[in-house]
Amino acid sequence: MLRVQDLHKSFGAVRALTGCSFEVARGHMLGFLGPNGAGKTTAMRTVFRLLKPDSGTVTWDGEPIRPDDLLRFGYMPEQRGLYPKMRSSDQLAYLGRLHGMSKSDARESAVFWLNRFGLGDRVDDAVEALSHGNQQRVQLAAALIHDPELLVLDEPFSGLDPIAVETMSEVLREQAAAGKAVVFSSHQLDLVEDLCEDVAIINAGEVVVNGKVEALKDSAPIRHLELEVDGDPSTLVGFLDGVQRTQTNGQRLTAIISADTDVRGFIAHVQEQGNLRHFTYTTPSLSDLFREAVR
Amino acid sequence: MTGFRTLWQVALREITERARSKAYLLTTGLTILIVLGLIVVPDLFGSGTTERTVGSVGSGNDVIISTAVDLGNANDEPDDPPSIALEMVAFDDRGTAMSALEAGEVDAVLVDGEEIIVESVGGFAGSSFVDGLQRAAGTVQIQSVIAEEGETATNIIQILTSDPLEITTLSRGDPEESESRTMVAYFGLLLLYLAVLLYGTWILTGVTEEKSNRVVEVLLSSVRPWQILGGKILGIGSLAIVQLLGTIVVALIALRVTGAFDLPPVEVGTVLNLLLWFVIGFLIFAVLFGAAGSLVSRTEDANTIAMPMSMTAVVGFFVSITALNDPDGVVATVFTFVPLTAPFVVPVRTALQAIPLWQYLAAVVISAIALAVFTVIAGRIYSGGLLRYGGRVRLREAWRSAAG
Repeated sequence: MLRVQDLHKSFGAVRALTGCSFEVARGHMLGFLGPNGAGKTTAMRTVFRLLKPDSGTVTWDGEPIRPDDLLRFGYMPEQRGLYPKMRSSDQLAYLGRLHGMSKSDARESAVFWLNRFGLGDRVDDAVEALSHGNQQRVQLAAALIHDPELLVLDEPFSGLDPIAVETMSEVLREQAAAGKAVVFSSHQLDLVEDLCEDVAIINAGEVVVNGKVEALKDSAPIRHLELEVDGDPSTLVGFLDGVQRTQTNGQRLTAIISADTDVRGFIAHVQEQGNLRHFTYTTPSLSDLFREAVR
Repeated sequence: MTGFRTLWQVALREITERARSKAYLLTTGLTILIVLGLIVVPDLFGSGTTERTVGSVGSGNDVIISTAVDLGNANDEPDDPPSIALEMVAFDDRGTAMSALEAGEVDAVLVDGEEIIVESVGGFAGSSFVDGLQRAAGTVQIQSVIAEEGETATNIIQILTSDPLEITTLSRGDPEESESRTMVAYFGLLLLYLAVLLYGTWILTGVTEEKSNRVVEVLLSSVRPWQILGGKILGIGSLAIVQLLGTIVVALIALRVTGAFDLPPVEVGTVLNLLLWFVIGFLIFAVLFGAAGSLVSRTEDANTIAMPMSMTAVVGFFVSITALNDPDGVVATVFTFVPLTAPFVVPVRTALQAIPLWQYLAAVVISAIALAVFTVIAGRIYSGGLLRYGGRVRLREAWRSAAG
C-alpha cells in the first residue's frame, strides 16, 4: 500500500502542497483529481523522491521509500520524455535494464508491451518517427516494462484519441486486477468515474475529498436533478427549494440541489402542469463533486 | 553493487547509441583523415629540393653559392634528392640585377662576394635562405684564412655541419630520452586539451539533451543522479579514449610508413604518468561540464554555460606551454597546485624532471580531493538543476532544490 501523509512543500513563496494525504492499496485504482496547479505533479514527484517534502511522509507497505523500492515502481511523468533517436524497443529494454531486469527479460517485455499497444510493427522505429499518440503509448509501456507493483501516472489520458483511451483503460484495469496499486491523475472525470473505485481531490495543495466514489456520492449534501418539459423550464426553478446551481438548455433543466430538498412535492407540482417529458433525480456525478470540492 | 550495475547500463547506452550515430563515425573518420593528411601530405610535397636563383654582380660570388649548396646538403641521405639547389645568374651591373630582383626573376643578388641584396628582411622562408648564404660566405672566409694550414674546404664543411660538442644535461638519463619525454608530454598535453574541449562538450550537450527532451524525469524516477552522470562520463570517456587511441595508432603507423621523422624511444613511466593525469584531468572537467549541462534546458544555451570551463582549459594549456619553456618558473609552480590546471602542468614538469617529489605528490592529493569535492558539488547541482525547466537555473537555486 502506498500511503502519502500530510505532505507540505513550498517553492520559495509558492506553497505547492499544504497537507496532501491519500492512499492506494494493492489491487486498487485511485483517481487523483484537481485543477491545474493544485499540486498533483508535485505530490507524484515526491513519491519518487524527485522532490523532498518540507514535512510529511510517503510510505510503501508501511516503510519509508528507499531508492531500491523505486525499482519496483512505474512512473509516467507529466512531462513526457523519451530519447527521440532511440528505437522504441531499445528504449524500453534500456529502461527495463535500469530497473534491474536481465537483458533477455527486458527485450521480451519490450516487444510484449509494444505488441499490446498495437505497435508491433514499429519495434525498430525511432521514437521521433512515431505519432504523438503512439509516443504516449510507448511512454506508458515505459512505466509498465518492469512489471511494477505500484503505477503512478500523471495524466496518462491527455491528448489520446478514444481508441487509445480504450486500450489504456483496459491495461490499467488489468493492472489493478493483477494486484498492482494504481494511481493516476486526470481531468477526464467521466473516465475516472468509470475506472476508479477511489478518488482523491486536491485543491490548492490540500486533499479536500478522499474516499470511495460511491460512498462520496451517497454522503454528498447535494443531489443532481434533470428534467425536460414542453415550454420554458426556468420558470419551474421557483418552486424548488435548496437550489445551488441551475443550467437550462432549451427545454432541459439541470440543477444541483440540497440532498434534503422535498423532491416529491416538486414533481407533483410539475406534473400538475401536465407537461413533464423526462425526469431524473440522482446522486451527484463525480464532476458535480469535483466542482463542489474545488469551488 | 547494483548501483554500479546501473551506472554501467547508462554507460553502455551512451556507447552503443553514440557509436552508432553518424556524428561519432564522422568525427572519428575526419580526425583520422586530418592526422593522416598532416603526416602524409608534407611527405609527398615537402620533401623535394628547395630551388632558388641567385643573381651575381662582380666576382667572388660563385664560390659562396657552391659552398652554400655543399653546406645545405651535407646531412642528406645518399638516396634522397638534395635539400637545396641554387642557380646563379650573372648580371653586368647592380642596376639590372636589382630590377631582376624586383621583377622576381632572382631571389637575391650577391655583389662581389661582400654584399647581399634581398627584397626585404624577415619572413620564414626567406631568412633561412639568407642565413645559408651568410654561413657560406663565412665558411669561404675561414677557408681563405686557414688555407695555408692545409685544411680543405670539405673538411671545414664537415666541421661546421656536425655537432662537435656532446650534450650532457643536469637531469639524469641521456638527452635523447629527455627530448622524447618532452615530446610525449607535449602531445599528452595537446590530447588532454582536445579531449576536454571536445568530449567535455559531448557530456554537456548530452546532459542538456536529456533535460530538454524530458527523458531525465523518467530516468530519475528509478536511477540516482550520480549513476546517470557517472554512466554518461564513463560511456563518453570510453568513446573518447577509443577515438584518441585509434587516431594515435593510425598516426604511428603513418609515421612508420612515411618515415616523416624518427620516433624517439619512449619510457613506460612517462606514458603512465601522462595517462594518470589524463584521467584525473578529464574526470574533473567532465563532472563540471555535466553539472553545467543540467542548468540549461536548451542546447542553444549549452555553449554559453560551457565558457568558464573552456576558458580554464585554455588557460591550463597556455600555462603548460610556459612550463615547457620554464618548468621551474613561478608560473609553472603556482599552477601545479591549482586543481584545474595541474593536469596540464604537472605532466610537462614531470617529463622535464623539473618537479620536486613533494610538489608532485601535493598536486596528486589536491587534484584527487578536488575531484571528490567537485563530484559531490556537481552531483548535487546536477540533481537539483535537472527538473527545473525553462530558463537558466541559477547555481544557488539548483543547490537548494536538490533532494539531497
